[in-house]
Amino acid sequence: MSIGNDELTVGYMLMKHGVSRRGFIKYCTAVASTMALPPWMGPAMAEQLRSAARPCVVYLSFQECTGCLESLTRSFAPTIEDLIFNTISLDYNDTLMAAAGEAAESARAKAMKDNFGKYVLVVDGSVPTGAGGAYCTAGGRTAVETLREAAKGAAAIVCVGSCAAFGGIAFADPNPTSAWPVSAIVEDKPIVNVSGCPPIPEVMTGTLLQFFSTGQVPDLDQHRRPKAFFGTTIHDRCYRRPFYDQGKFAKTFDDEGARNGWCLYELGCKGPTTYNACATLKWNGGVSFPIQSGHGCLGCAEPGFWDKGSFYSALSTPAWGKAGETAPHRVLELTAGAAAVGAVLGAASAGLSRLRQHEREVDEDRTRS
Amino acid sequence: MARPVSRLAEIPVRIEPAAQGAEPCAGLGGGVAALLAELAALLAGLTDSGRPAAIDLRSLPMSPQDRGELERALGEGEVRATIQADGVSIVRETGISGVWWVEHRNARGELMAELLEVAHVPEILASSVDEVAAAARALQARLGLSHATMSARSET
Repeated sequence: MSIGNDELTVGYMLMKHGVSRRGFIKYCTAVASTMALPPWMGPAMAEQLRSAARPCVVYLSFQECTGCLESLTRSFAPTIEDLIFNTISLDYNDTLMAAAGEAAESARAKAMKDNFGKYVLVVDGSVPTGAGGAYCTAGGRTAVETLREAAKGAAAIVCVGSCAAFGGIAFADPNPTSAWPVSAIVEDKPIVNVSGCPPIPEVMTGTLLQFFSTGQVPDLDQHRRPKAFFGTTIHDRCYRRPFYDQGKFAKTFDDEGARNGWCLYELGCKGPTTYNACATLKWNGGVSFPIQSGHGCLGCAEPGFWDKGSFYSALSTPAWGKAGETAPHRVLELTAGAAAVGAVLGAASAGLSRLRQHEREVDEDRTRS
Repeated sequence: MARPVSRLAEIPVRIEPAAQGAEPCAGLGGGVAALLAELAALLAGLTDSGRPAAIDLRSLPMSPQDRGELERALGEGEVRATIQADGVSIVRETGISGVWWVEHRNARGELMAELLEVAHVPEILASSVDEVAAAARALQARLGLSHATMSARSET
């Protein structure tokens, strides 16, 4: 798949593939609109990219399910074909590339050497560190080694998916492989987290395209996510929000409220605490998103979503039951439980007191004797 | 008890008229009046400094009623251009000279971007310098003329 040659400009490749200047301006205008960038950025991005050498991208996959790449290859605007063949030089991706084994690894080594300090490293998946890194090895090298080596010459690292960004499913308690997010391993490079399980494809491609056209990491939030896409919650932009404001909630997935499209908050929707662009960009080319399909948001773009309890408990629900519905028998169980814990602690305390009393008496006897 | 709403389209939308004393935009929704005021400022910038600008309509939360009002307020101009480049783009001059309504659609006809551009001519319509130079070279080659000959002719 290696099609990299830094002598070739993006403009040349566009012309070669029959993409006109106007077509490219239009495409960049659409990307700028998607990213909520100022409208003048579209033509400026097009101009900058046309005269730039095709940027080199090295895409590494570690402890992951390939869902992020499945999502990326379904991007509509820009499409992955646009990105691969017209804009970037994807020099290494072990799933998409035709080469394998030594040929693939030497293509990666060459791309990293030729573009040292300039390439973008895309990482998909968490990095297992347990058992000396043996849980994820390729070509005899652990993920930790491969990541550290590839990060050295990267201009920036883009972590696609919640695994690379925050540890993800592999990081979930009890984290059997001692997995870590990329930011825990590499600390001296600009890192952009494009979280989600998987992320929205246009968010991934838009983030890459903005970096290539401006050479700058976009404005990021506290979790290093691009503010253009992660600036507002799903809830803020949800088309069901008016029902939330009116206090109209579906109570089950098949009641009248669900059929009427009312708010899914009480069915566990995590939209109010989840920052992502699903409600505006949507999925599959803007067709729909989970809430539009009748299911609450899982909060998959947020750190720790995997360990935050049931997907079907309302956000306001305490750990012991649904909000406002703590049944009398649960209260009794809790009270009895507390009493039992108290009894155990009391017994332990009494026992400890007796032990100390006994130790004091022994010491006094020794002193007297 | 109110009848349950089963479709989004059934949620009534009411346009609040502009506050009194807001002439000359009285009768327009607040969002449309603000948009027209922004266009006026951008047109002044184009006149004074030649600086083009644009407003991304997809970034604005406009109801269908707002949109209809905006279209009526801007009106239709004399120019309408269609571009065939990876899908259709339509560039319409509005009744306000210098304000262009631009729609970009992909090959499947889906709307990718919608802008109000404030410019003498939207950039996407104009031919670029390098394209014109390349076209001149190609045409000269087709006619069997040298670049030096053509340059001499253009100077006379």
